[in-house]
Amino acid sequence: MTTETRSVILGVAASDAHAVANHLIAGRLRYAGFAVENLGVCTPLEEFAEALERSPHSIAIVIGSLNGHAYEDLRSLPQLRAEGRLDRPVILGGNLSVGSRKSNESLELLRGLGVDVILDDPDKLPFVLDSLCRPQLVDAQ
Amino acid sequence: MKSLLLELESRAAPDLLTVTIDSHTRLKHFATAEATLARNPGHLNGYPLVAHGWGRGRELNESVKVPLEVRHGSPDARELLAVSLASGIASFEGGGISYNLPYAKDVPLQESLEAWRQVDSLCGVFAEHGVIVDREMFGTLTAVLVPPSISLAISVLEAVLAAREGVRCVSIAYPQGGEALQDIAALHSIPLLAERYLPESVETFSVLHQYMGVFPKGRSVADALILYGGLVGRIGGAAKIITKTNHEAYGIPDTRANVEGMRVTEAACSSFLDFVQVDQERVALERDWILCEVAELVEPLLACDDLVAAICRAFANGSLDVPFSASRHARSAVIPARDTRGAIRYRDCGSLPFSEATRKRQAQSLSGTNSDPDGLKVIESITADINYFAAHDVSKGEPLPQLLQEAS
Ligand code: B12
Repeated sequence: MTTETRSVILGVAASDAHAVANHLIAGRLRYAGFAVENLGVCTPLEEFAEALERSPHSIAIVIGSLNGHAYEDLRSLPQLRAEGRLDRPVILGGNLSVGSRKSNESLELLRGLGVDVILDDPDKLPFVLDSLCRPQLVDAQ
Repeated sequence: MKSLLLELESRAAPDLLTVTIDSHTRLKHFATAEATLARNPGHLNGYPLVAHGWGRGRELNESVKVPLEVRHGSPDARELLAVSLASGIASFEGGGISYNLPYAKDVPLQESLEAWRQVDSLCGVFAEHGVIVDREMFGTLTAVLVPPSISLAISVLEAVLAAREGVRCVSIAYPQGGEALQDIAALHSIPLLAERYLPESVETFSVLHQYMGVFPKGRSVADALILYGGLVGRIGGAAKIITKTNHEAYGIPDTRANVEGMRVTEAACSSFLDFVQVDQERVALERDWILCEVAELVEPLLACDDLVAAICRAFANGSLDVPFSASRHARSAVIPARDTRGAIRYRDCGSLPFSEATRKRQAQSLSGTNSDPDGLKVIESITADINYFAAHDVSKGEPLPQLLQEAS
């Protein structure tokens, strides 16, 4: 195992104020041994990008969105990436579109923006993050 | 929105209807709301009243017979109030604390309290001219496991501030927590708190928000929870009940789900359910506990000359607090937990200025539950308490519609 602490940047999308899952996910990830920079609710992508520039060793950007505005709130992802920013896997979870009938189409739109992983169960986060670290683990062995 | 309201009015005949505002408008991102409205109105999670303007707002208001209430979540609602009043809408939810901490990350309380002082003082000017605006305090706060005394204490503080600005009609909203005796006791506390802390010139109404936490997905359990909320509201003497829908766990509900929610709630208020009664002695005991905790929270603040400054200080030092704050301006050191009956207690009182007696009673009420303070176990038991009603989905094995497609 690597002894280095793995860092992630966590937050909730720009127009979204739902805080409960964010509090709990931060707690669980810290308990699983991750260093979590939690930007909290209502965080525009620009702030995620700035946080990554401050902590370039972070392995992933973990974003929650509950209020249905995920697409609107992540619209600037392609532009930021084109500028060479936010070049880490973006993991997204929550309630990702408006309305009570969900379609795959809305998830496709999000992938189209460049979202790398869409997850429903936050308990899977440590495993997904572990899989992102695998190359590092190999190095360490 | 117009067709939604008209359909709700004709099919469910409620006494009033609400207009819920979208998140962009709530945060004063009026340009984003306007752009989304033009590009893709279906992507908005509420009605962008400011972008539509007061002309359309008035049209909407005049298209229905019942009064409208604007519900939102804006730390600074001055523009929205102006457009609402110009639309002829005379019921406006929110307050400088309750529409800040659950809804914004970094708006200082000083700022939101000042913005809401201006909202209240405008309502005061209207009252002088004979137009009474109903100001509803959003005691629901962060909605998930909110201890009743925190909800009511914050509403009392906001109501006192509103009354000082000339507001004459106050509604105090309390979120159903899930345990009947405690919820009924909280509703019974509202008139007593008004008598104790508000001037006589202010008319106060109690409001129940049907369960505001994580809803069950299964339709029958969700409907049962809505019926339960209706019963609690009726037995607790609520003047108004804000209803939920059996789509709550999924997303913004459609018209039909809204109609069903209202009808189920109305059924809960029918006389054939009069046989449902609760142990009034236990309710009175819970009520006295709540009144005592609220007094311990608000009285030191009400004794200060500058109440706004006292409130800001209290949140900074943790003597006022909310669990799971969205805002950085509350500590969220308070940790709630359900007791064995499901009532919401304090696992950790944080820095709330509770007396020894209150702390002891809180600790006693949690005996028999797993109050072991180990990190992961705390998170797990909080999660279980949050999913208190949703857990019924699993045990009853009702097939649930798939919400999200599992990804890569
Ligand atoms: C509590 C609550 C609130 C509270 C939030 C308090 C706070 N600041 O946190 C209050 C009352 C303030 C509130 C406000 C609003 N809410 Co609300 N709220 C809820 C409710 C009831 C529970 C949410 C919750 O805390 N759950 C507990 C936590 C632990 O779980 P969770 O958030 O559901 O997340 C789970 C998963 O999604 C996932 N997950 C979450 N984040 C992430 C992130 C990652 C990376 C991963 C992998 C997984 C993941 O893990 C969690 C556990 O399984 C839900 C409905 C429900 N579920 O019953 C609606 C709900 C989320 N709210 C909703 C909406 C729309 C709003 C509002 C915009 C108001 C409105 N128009 O109705 C405002 C938000 C304003 C804004 N700027 O965003 C909608 C979203 C609609 C949609 N997507 O179509 C819902 C679904 C209700 C509904 N049916 O309409 N809300």
